[in-house]
Amino acid sequence: MGRVVRALGRLSMDRVKTGVAGLDTMLNGGLLPARPYVVSGPTGSGKTILAVQFLLDGLRQQEPCLLVTLDEPPIEVKANMATFTWNLDRLKILDATPDIRAHKRQRSVIDVGTSLDVRDMEDVTEIRQSSQIRALEVTVHSVQKMIKQEFSHHLERTKQRYKRVVIDSMTALKMFAMQGQDSRILIQSFVRFLAELEATTLIISERLNKKILETEFFLARGEIRLNKWIDGSVIRRAISIEKFRGSSFDDRMHPISIGDNGMVVYLDAPAQTRVSTPAPKPGESLLETRLIDEVSNVIESIMRQIEDAHRRQVPIRDIEVSLSRAMLAFQRRNYQKAIKLALACDSELKERLGKAPLPPPISTPPRPPQVIR
Amino acid sequence: MLHGGFVPGRPYIVSGPPGAGKTILAMQFLREGLEGGERCLFVALEEPPNELKINMRGFRWNLDDLDVLDANSDIRRFEPTPILEISTEEEPAKMRAIGERIRKTPDFESKEVSVHSLQQLLKNLFLKRNYERVVVDSMTALRYFCMREFEETVTTQSFMRYLAESKVTSLLTLELPEEGEVPPEAFLARGEIRLHKLRDETGIKRFLSVEKYKGSSHDENVYPFDITNAGIVINMAPMLAVAH
Repeated sequence: MGRVVRALGRLSMDRVKTGVAGLDTMLNGGLLPARPYVVSGPTGSGKTILAVQFLLDGLRQQEPCLLVTLDEPPIEVKANMATFTWNLDRLKILDATPDIRAHKRQRSVIDVGTSLDVRDMEDVTEIRQSSQIRALEVTVHSVQKMIKQEFSHHLERTKQRYKRVVIDSMTALKMFAMQGQDSRILIQSFVRFLAELEATTLIISERLNKKILETEFFLARGEIRLNKWIDGSVIRRAISIEKFRGSSFDDRMHPISIGDNGMVVYLDAPAQTRVSTPAPKPGESLLETRLIDEVSNVIESIMRQIEDAHRRQVPIRDIEVSLSRAMLAFQRRNYQKAIKLALACDSELKERLGKAPLPPPISTPPRPPQVIR
Repeated sequence: MLHGGFVPGRPYIVSGPPGAGKTILAMQFLREGLEGGERCLFVALEEPPNELKINMRGFRWNLDDLDVLDANSDIRRFEPTPILEISTEEEPAKMRAIGERIRKTPDFESKEVSVHSLQQLLKNLFLKRNYERVVVDSMTALRYFCMREFEETVTTQSFMRYLAESKVTSLLTLELPEEGEVPPEAFLARGEIRLHKLRDETGIKRFLSVEKYKGSSHDENVYPFDITNAGIVINMAPMLAVAH
């Protein structure tokens, strides 16, 4: 732990502070400048808060900062951040949220890129209304173009380059803007684009699946991970650094809290808090997560069977009712009850589907034509 | 652990999740070669060379004579223009000559690195200079970004076959997901060194194991290692009977 690469960090290089005090200590002073990093974690773990705090630290040092928002409209970001005692008036915010989709695909669907909307946080007043005639669509290309335009505009106006950029979030960009394209190459190009901007960038990304190696995670020069888990009946939060190229770092997981002044990392938290980290230990929280996995697996399998039953027109109305009861129990975190109900549904479904006649084969091969003499 | 080292002229894999220390291990392998006066090449597909240079400064290694080939694709152009492949005449830069700032994509053309052109480029390079050690960092980037029109596993196999035929000892880094399956590159190589990253309440613990080594006996144990300013240091003392 401590021995690991501590010496590496003593480089005579400027660091970019994240604005989260404990985190900077963990990073041995801060991030290395002009590189893209990933902030990951589940929904509600505090990714956006951390990122805005990073921008706030830049503003305090008179650095130009840009928030590119793809998830929430600027007005919502503003409202959410109003709960903190921060002065974000001079934060530039680029609205790259897609419009309400025009359901009829027509020629007039245009890229957002052609209508750049960048404002100071203090000028954000209302949500942008989708135009009745043309719907703005967000593509990777348009987001890139917008950022590039804003960079050169800003350089022209103020003779200053943006020093810090936040992309909130990559998950949205992937979901909305990369449909049906080779997303890996697009992400590579986008991360390269961010690196060439020579600003220190935080890319917010939700880690969707641990079994899939997501491009931005190995391309980013580092990963700050926010962890959130249930420990008995309380939600626990912790922060960890998973990867940090070119520097040593504190590789322990530290508890965090989110208060009026934003995120705080407890570097010397009592051991008790640290014992219940989500590390694979046979503890209550682990049992619970496994139970949750179990229930969701069973429910998923039931859903598939229900679909099957509908196709084959097997009556299962009553099973659907008891499934909804199982899901209700699941929602109320009564996992024991949920699994019992779900398993009952599962076995009943299996029995009924087993009795029902098999569906006709999807297509029968055509008969060879008879030779008529 | 390898009972003496690699069998020369073959491709090997060093695999592990992001942040395990693959690039550092690969760099150490090249540095060993440089010390012995060998010609070494680093093919960078994940990281721009300027950052690589800065990152390696923390280690007190003399890498000045290392050749670094920048095989990072440019920012993609969206206009329907013909894609320019990286020139097969591209030359690697000596580590000492690499600048501080990132190379910028030119305004009107952007170059793309495809596995085909990279292979051609390496062929030219191998003819001109007799490289003894080559690192490709990483195979994952090669698979993800450079094989647009090719079947990935077959192309990977042919690339590794090509490296074997060129008779260079090559070390290819491979990104592993945190859980789940190992990509097929691991089966194709003549050997695999795997880096493991485990987290407990005291922090990240790193371990190293030789998963496979064709043509030689090898140590079957898993050993812990640290990353120090001398690079990766394996702690051979405590034998860990970690079963896989």
